[in-house]
Amino acid sequence: MNTNGHESRWKTLLRFETLLLLVLAIECLIFTRTGTNFATQGNALEILKFSVEIGLLALVMTPVILTGGIDLSVGSLLGLCAVCFGKFWRDAGMAWPLAAVLTLGIGALAGGVNALLITRLRLPPLIVTLGSFSLFRGLAEGITHGVDNFTGFPADFLAFGQGYYGGIIPAQVPVFAVVAVAVWLLVHRTTFGRSFRAIGFAPEGARYAGLPVERRIALAYVLSGAVAALAAMIYVARVGQAKADAGTGYELLAITAVVLGGTSIFGGIGTVHGTLLGVATLAVLKNGLQLSDQPSELAGILTGALLLTVLAGEAAAKKFSARRARLAALNRS
Amino acid sequence: MSKEKNQSLLTSAATRTGNRHFRELSVAATLAVLLLVLAFAAPAFFGRQQLLTTLTTAAPVLIAACGMALVIISRQIDISIGSQFALCSVLAGLLAQSGLPMPVVALGAIAGGAVLGAFNGALIAGLGLPSIVVTLATMVTWREALRWWREGEFVKDLPERFQWFGGSQSSGQAAILLGAGLVFGVLAFAMKHLAAGRFVYAVGTDREAARLAGLRPQGVTFGVFVLMGALVGLAALLNAIRFADVDPKTGTGLEMQVIAAVVVGGVAISGGRGNLWGVLVGVLLLACIAPALVFLQLPPQWEKAIQGAVILLAVAADGWRSRIGR
Repeated sequence: MNTNGHESRWKTLLRFETLLLLVLAIECLIFTRTGTNFATQGNALEILKFSVEIGLLALVMTPVILTGGIDLSVGSLLGLCAVCFGKFWRDAGMAWPLAAVLTLGIGALAGGVNALLITRLRLPPLIVTLGSFSLFRGLAEGITHGVDNFTGFPADFLAFGQGYYGGIIPAQVPVFAVVAVAVWLLVHRTTFGRSFRAIGFAPEGARYAGLPVERRIALAYVLSGAVAALAAMIYVARVGQAKADAGTGYELLAITAVVLGGTSIFGGIGTVHGTLLGVATLAVLKNGLQLSDQPSELAGILTGALLLTVLAGEAAAKKFSARRARLAALNRS
Repeated sequence: MSKEKNQSLLTSAATRTGNRHFRELSVAATLAVLLLVLAFAAPAFFGRQQLLTTLTTAAPVLIAACGMALVIISRQIDISIGSQFALCSVLAGLLAQSGLPMPVVALGAIAGGAVLGAFNGALIAGLGLPSIVVTLATMVTWREALRWWREGEFVKDLPERFQWFGGSQSSGQAAILLGAGLVFGVLAFAMKHLAAGRFVYAVGTDREAARLAGLRPQGVTFGVFVLMGALVGLAALLNAIRFADVDPKTGTGLEMQVIAAVVVGGVAISGGRGNLWGVLVGVLLLACIAPALVFLQLPPQWEKAIQGAVILLAVAADGWRSRIGR
């Protein structure tokens, strides 16, 4: 009894999120000393503002990876959606809200194409989204002839990426908060979330348990596509232009954040708050190094090193606890 | 045996090969159609110089794709090869700049790649970490480390003997093609006829069964990653000698290009299935798209979209077939 309680307490302490929170706290401590104006309210909100796009992609990447899949196409889709939005608004002469709605539709449709290939033809998600990674970026390049750049968006649209509520809160933050809460509820408080995990853990088992496996997987990819479109528009509003190369490499940043947040790349295990912590860890690292006058490359190097350290640490801990369990079993017998 | 029966045996054998190599044959057919169209619409594509340029551009990709095929057959993946490629290119340039003879430069690039591959292999085989995450991390780390180190600076003022190995352009091109052909030939033979090659298939098909059969899956995985790195080093060298200086940004996106060629060539991402002949056809098909667009006077900015569509069509055709098969 006593040892059990002791062990479970250790387990909570050693949970991934706790570990990551510790890393985040250490980061903040260091940067408070080294960075100029790091520990200010303004900077905290600035970090938040610049991590919204990656954050959105990482949030919806979580259910995808939970089902044992992966979506490499989100960065390219962000570029395609940015270009489509510009095309609708400038060349088709639509009002921007209409263009925004259509762009969301295109994102969902693109996610649907991924979902269709993955569920109907039972193709591996890695390959399907690798193909659409090329296809979506290629379409964006084709539509813009590789050079076209959409600028001069109306001020009331740009306000979504550059404005502040009450002069303090960046305009995109409430949008991010709404999506974060929605995805958290979806994954942790509904049967959908349960089924994502079940599918990631054992797809055949989930099928025999009566779950609509195909529809659940499709939901994850369509959601990923639609939110990539949303991230695209926030990106366009923030930087004020839409080019074909928007969001290059974002898919890898999003995946890094999700994996760093404790979601298993094999599916079945993971949390949305872990992902948010992962996004925060990466964003604080980047911002803190910048304010400490360190080269921006260091952020990339440390991101890779952090990812490897955390994973290796987890693997070592798992080996250690497995050995202890074996020893305990031996002692009992 | 009657003649009729003989005939039917022959055709059934032909269908069997057709079924077994459906992907390789269908991709080869696509390539043949593309070449045929080009032969009529743009015969200039087959000009000696143009053909040599297309092939020498594809040769480094083929070398890397051979390594990637082994990695994927052993049920792993390596997305760090673009960064390895850049590091090895710069390394080769710096070694040549310091006045070392070309054979030493070549060995240096290959050894450098092998060390980078061994790093991946140690983490993946030794600690059992998922290869996609490990190589994602090393991809970012190496790329940023290189950017920090070189600050985007080209390696310039290379000695005469660097570009085209100091010979004429055509002899240099011949050397590149010979190198790629040699690597391809040796690996294609080894994968089919040598025990080491079969080990890779065994580990990729069923790791546990391979272990019980007396193989050491960890050793095989480690070896495959070291070989992948060494091949990337060679590919980087053969790519670098085509130019007068070394661009530190070279190889960006190479991993996706190579994985795409391997997958189009029929290597199953689930491991244990595929062969190098398919990879050769896949590399050639994807390599022909960009010059074909130019020669058919189509807008070249659609290249990536067409490549993506080819990848999706190739895998979708497979999926469709197995669906009907079920």
